[in-house]
Amino acid sequence: MGQSATANSPSAASAIRAGGASAWADRHFKWLMVAPATLLILAFSIYPMLFSLWVVFVNYDFQIPGHEFVGLQNFQQIVNDPLAWSSLGLTIALSVAVVAIEFMLGLALALAMVKTFRGRGIVMSILIIPLFISPVIVGQSWALFLQRPFGPADYLLSQLMGRPVAISWVGETPWVYIAILLADVWQWTPFMFVILLAGLAAIPPHLYEAAELDGVGALNAFRYVTAPQLAPVMLLALTLRLLDAVKLFDVIFMLTGGGPGTATYTTSFYLYQIGFQQFHLSMATAGSWLFLILLSVVITALVRRLLKAEAA
Amino acid sequence: MAASSVRANSARVLTIGFFIVFILVPLYWVVVTSIKPASDYLTTPPVWFPAKPTIVHYTAALFSYRGLQGLINSLIIASAATALSTVMGTMMAYSLARFRTGGNHLALWVISQRFLPPVAVILPIFLLFRRWGLYDTRIGLILAYAFMTLPLSVWMMYAYFRQLPKSLEEAALVDGLSRWQAFWMVATPIAAPGVAAAAVFVFIAVWTEFFFALILTSRYAFTLPTIFRAFLGFQGAQYGEACALATVSLAPSIALGMIVQRHLVRGLTLGALRG
Repeated sequence: MGQSATANSPSAASAIRAGGASAWADRHFKWLMVAPATLLILAFSIYPMLFSLWVVFVNYDFQIPGHEFVGLQNFQQIVNDPLAWSSLGLTIALSVAVVAIEFMLGLALALAMVKTFRGRGIVMSILIIPLFISPVIVGQSWALFLQRPFGPADYLLSQLMGRPVAISWVGETPWVYIAILLADVWQWTPFMFVILLAGLAAIPPHLYEAAELDGVGALNAFRYVTAPQLAPVMLLALTLRLLDAVKLFDVIFMLTGGGPGTATYTTSFYLYQIGFQQFHLSMATAGSWLFLILLSVVITALVRRLLKAEAA
Repeated sequence: MAASSVRANSARVLTIGFFIVFILVPLYWVVVTSIKPASDYLTTPPVWFPAKPTIVHYTAALFSYRGLQGLINSLIIASAATALSTVMGTMMAYSLARFRTGGNHLALWVISQRFLPPVAVILPIFLLFRRWGLYDTRIGLILAYAFMTLPLSVWMMYAYFRQLPKSLEEAALVDGLSRWQAFWMVATPIAAPGVAAAAVFVFIAVWTEFFFALILTSRYAFTLPTIFRAFLGFQGAQYGEACALATVSLAPSIALGMIVQRHLVRGLTLGALRG
């Protein structure tokens, strides 16, 4: 190899040097190709992780000078904080709720959209818009849309129901949870929809033709053809979405600020408050380690699954 | 049979119609508020079509709320991070797809980064950024975003290269090209549509990101999404300004999204599904 280098170089000596370097580069080609990305990920994940392993066992707190070794005290503080547990509970409850709702709505929409019709392209473009909007803006927009006196939501509801409606959308439970659900479902139902639609479109039509020949009704066709054929794609959509849902932060930040009180603290919002508002950095780091360990079980399962899809 | 197919059809139309309204109404409200005069804010019934549209909220959002600075920062940071992530990601993906470099482990390790909750990695990054002088710098955020989007660019391109035939590169090697030349002069041009799609998804991911920018920047390198903090609580009722800024921010990413619509399934599933 390295022929072009030899051909272009002015002297024999430099030709050998260039040839040597390029032969070396060619031999290690596959590793040199992964090196830049790998180094960047290492710099941003492994190195900070090792650093944070030190941070969790010392006192790294902007309110207390010095970095004294404190053992497991940071973990104890997190585990003993009732708010850590209630925010984790809310994170799990909200994630399960939004993923379930988005899945069912996304599936209904995908079933409705799977057949072609006039204007389907334009409808498709509208339905995927929320995927390209910053979650901050989604939170902000729903805050604007729902909140009195500015938002039109109460007015629209009162027109629909024929009586005055005055809901405190971000000031009262359970309305505040519904507001969060609305914003999340608005943004991420299209995610489920797009993936499930791709799965539906990939089901071979002859399976439905065979079912029809056997005199199977629409419901049973769904049960015996659609559901089993779609199962792997459903699982992929559900796990991908669930792993993002548990990170819920932006909408909380813009829409409720964790309130009323601490009623809408999610784990991400809680750790943000501890770390970046109260500056108990060690305590927040300990909390994020615990959160990470909890999630890593699910992440490992999903990653295995993704690799299988890739191999297929 | 006929009655049931009519029922099925109307159910289909109702479902689709409901979603179109559900998606468009809040969006329309934001865009229309951005051109409403303040006197139209608090009327009952609400004003859906302002009689006297105005652009004052746009000038206020861009100049009084430093929206212009945020816009410039967002453009620079998103472009640079996209370039870095796409180039490094394409290189790595090529090596993974053609040589199975590092077996499954390396590929798995890269994608698992995608699922780490940002809150779990941001604290040490924040502390290290302060030590390294990267806090509140564009270069710091560019590197952080390149890191954040590498799983996306690597896996999208990994799936793409795997479906491209090797034969042209092999022919190039036989013709005496080095592996680098085969990659750069043969494989990359063929993969260009895939690279372009991956780049657009990376750009959108960076453009819409909030959390990293919130933690890692402050007065100087802040991006467009972080400015919305100024409107929290709406104490001063700057509805128009907030909506104008939202419109400025969402228009480019929606436009880009429409361009890569064909690749959406690959983008959302990191290449696991073709769509």
